[in-house]
Amino acid sequence: MRAVLRTSVSTGFVAVLALSACGFTGGEEQGERAADQGERIVVDNFRAPVADWSLESDAAYILSLSGCLETLTRYDEAQGEIVPSLATEWQQVSPLEWDFTLREGVQFQDGTPMTADAVVASLQNVLDAEVPARAFGPKVVSGVEAVDERTVRITTPTESPLVPYRLASVNTGVLAPAAFESGTVDPFGHCTGPFTPVSEEPKQSLTLDRNEDYWGGPVQLAGAEVRFITDGATRATQVQTGEADISLSVPVSSLSALESDPEVEVLRADSPRTATLYMNNGRAPFDDVDFRRAVRSALDLDALAASVYEGAALPATGPFAPSEPWAPETAGTPQQDLAAAKELLTAAGYTADRPLEIIAIVERAEFADVATVIQDDLKSIGVPVTIRTAEYAAVEPDLLAGNYDMVLSQRNRLIDIADPIGFLSADYTCEGSYNLSHFCDEDYDRLVAQAAETADTEERYELYTRAGQILQEQAVNVWLVNEQAIDAVRADLQNHAQDPLSRYVLHADTATPGP
Amino acid sequence: MSSRTSRSSRGPVTAFLLRRTATLGVTVLLASFVVFLIPYVTPGDPARKIIRSRVAGAVLDESAVQALTQDLGLHESLVVQYLRWLGRLLGGDMGLSYASRTPVVEQVLPALWTTLSLVTATLAVAATVSVVLGTVAALRAGSLPDRIITTVTQGFVAMPEYWLAPMLVLVFALELSLLPSAGWAGPASAVLPVAVLALRPTSYFTSAVREGMLDALAGEHVLAARARGLSRRQTVRRHVIPNGLLPLATLAAVWFAGLLGGSVIVEVIFAIPGMGRLLYEAVLNSDIPLAQGGVVVVVGLAVVLTTAADLVHGLLNPRLRGHHA
Repeated sequence: MRAVLRTSVSTGFVAVLALSACGFTGGEEQGERAADQGERIVVDNFRAPVADWSLESDAAYILSLSGCLETLTRYDEAQGEIVPSLATEWQQVSPLEWDFTLREGVQFQDGTPMTADAVVASLQNVLDAEVPARAFGPKVVSGVEAVDERTVRITTPTESPLVPYRLASVNTGVLAPAAFESGTVDPFGHCTGPFTPVSEEPKQSLTLDRNEDYWGGPVQLAGAEVRFITDGATRATQVQTGEADISLSVPVSSLSALESDPEVEVLRADSPRTATLYMNNGRAPFDDVDFRRAVRSALDLDALAASVYEGAALPATGPFAPSEPWAPETAGTPQQDLAAAKELLTAAGYTADRPLEIIAIVERAEFADVATVIQDDLKSIGVPVTIRTAEYAAVEPDLLAGNYDMVLSQRNRLIDIADPIGFLSADYTCEGSYNLSHFCDEDYDRLVAQAAETADTEERYELYTRAGQILQEQAVNVWLVNEQAIDAVRADLQNHAQDPLSRYVLHADTATPGP
Repeated sequence: MSSRTSRSSRGPVTAFLLRRTATLGVTVLLASFVVFLIPYVTPGDPARKIIRSRVAGAVLDESAVQALTQDLGLHESLVVQYLRWLGRLLGGDMGLSYASRTPVVEQVLPALWTTLSLVTATLAVAATVSVVLGTVAALRAGSLPDRIITTVTQGFVAMPEYWLAPMLVLVFALELSLLPSAGWAGPASAVLPVAVLALRPTSYFTSAVREGMLDALAGEHVLAARARGLSRRQTVRRHVIPNGLLPLATLAAVWFAGLLGGSVIVEVIFAIPGMGRLLYEAVLNSDIPLAQGGVVVVVGLAVVLTTAADLVHGLLNPRLRGHHA
């Protein structure tokens, strides 16, 4: 199938789209005080770059949230689709080739023009990485070339409608050729974004100044400092003291203090992470769908969200968060029904001849409590359960080999690209490389394969919806709670839009009225 | 006669120094082997853990795992890997960080400097406070001030850092806005972490100073000094305080060594880029060379410091020197 997507937008359109994203703050009340263009703000981030500034690593997230690194396309949360950024339009010119037309007049922060050759060099650097990014590695992209001064061609090994999504991954951010001259990645003065990194205190902070020549228009702030603070309580304290203007990912334990502070605003958004009780569909008694449904009916997800998660997560409705465009509109949270659960156990012919084991991954401290709640719920329908806590790395071989009963885990559905195809393929298809559930269903596999080749966004999302419904009907796992991305910002911060994945934080319109 | 005495006493001292130095070398070597083994006795495949530290997410590309295993020599025997690592270490090369692909030494040295600054400031504060408190307590032994000092400083031991640090932040950063809540930029940012870290050594130091001075006060040389007509103030200044501070020097060296790697909680809470945080993040990221390099430096320094303290103590104390020798 050949699809053509053509979009042409004005320079300011991207900024407008960014502001329309979820979690928008600032408005008439806050707009009473004019923004001070001499102001600098502080962002407390939860991680420091571990891999220098290599774009294939998580460091790309830091450069992106800092307003330095930009990509050819970007994912708009509010619209649920890919929108232009450094590329203004793109089209699939052959089954395996996509052409991206670069925005005119964009300069890197070192003053050199953003040409197709420069973009190709930057993308090739990611492609050649020792440990490639999954969103843009040799398995999914076979080549990058400049067609002309303003056109970049991406070639894929198989036909894929998701190339524009891959080019929205922060790992594909574009840096000037000079950034790669030393053998390591040097982003200082080599991005295209509204903020230019000027200095770094290793493991502590990154300082940025306004990019006076930003292609997207005037930048409101004079600069910013992104601090790397791993302790969540410290990040929460700093936004309360005013030492930070934005604190990303604040812990639940700090919420009551933050929400009672009139100078702080707490922002929440659905994250693409769902805490899940994985069940080994390949092993008795979980190989019987009635037994799996019985487990689901025995659990009180509302109580779980309210107790263990203290309201910081919402009861799940299925494998997707309700706000995701491919989530079924009518899905509701499965309700606890112990009588139905017992009937299903009878139908499954279940006999409690051995206790079942839940493995709670220690990397998520709350899972030990979640396991206890589940143990109690299952006990009430006559299913004995033991709990084992373990490091993920220690149990992963057993999980992949199918040597377990149940495991509590969670993973980010959209970590590679802003589309769930990777998650649905790897986690639930018969040949999926991360099929912990050991689930296999031909109808499901056919839907996912069809989705992988469907260029039309709405049509593809519909296929995802149907695939998700199969997973829910088959009670493959019990999706417990949808985790919330929780950030805290100073109440007088203007034009800030929360991004659940913390990719886009500082942008040209971020402003503050100053003291 | 005097030169013969000097030569005869130099022999045991040299032997003592050589023995302690040899012990130091063996200890460091053993410690290096234990340090090397740490990442291998923890569960999980190092190559998979390394990739996860660089590229977040659960699903891994198996070909990348295999390639990295070969590239880093992780498929070779532990002995081969250890000898290769030790050889490089002896040449001052701690290897490349798995996560950042930059030399480990470039990350360890700045972190070590930060922690050395933090620990030095901590022990300076603890020593100063404890000398004052310990002296007062000893000179007024049994009095109300002595009991108050003893009770309060012993209470310091019961205050865990993970509780005290947020409490101080709450009061001095959030409520009073007097000090920054975190960071490592200037003296103001050092006040709270130093205060938190200094509490426990202050307790032990005060007790040591008090006991040392009480012992000195009861010594015959003090009675002799008073008999020679020295005033109490002169006696305390010349004979009691110097002797009372001797145990503090040894104790401070031991605490110095302990705090080098023992300030993890404080460094994480206050976002200080020192050795504790470096090791914490190296473990989280399964960055084996960084964790090994960091621990080797901390353990090596700890062994050197405690040995140095032991040597000084031994050389100053003829009876102890004779025992060691």
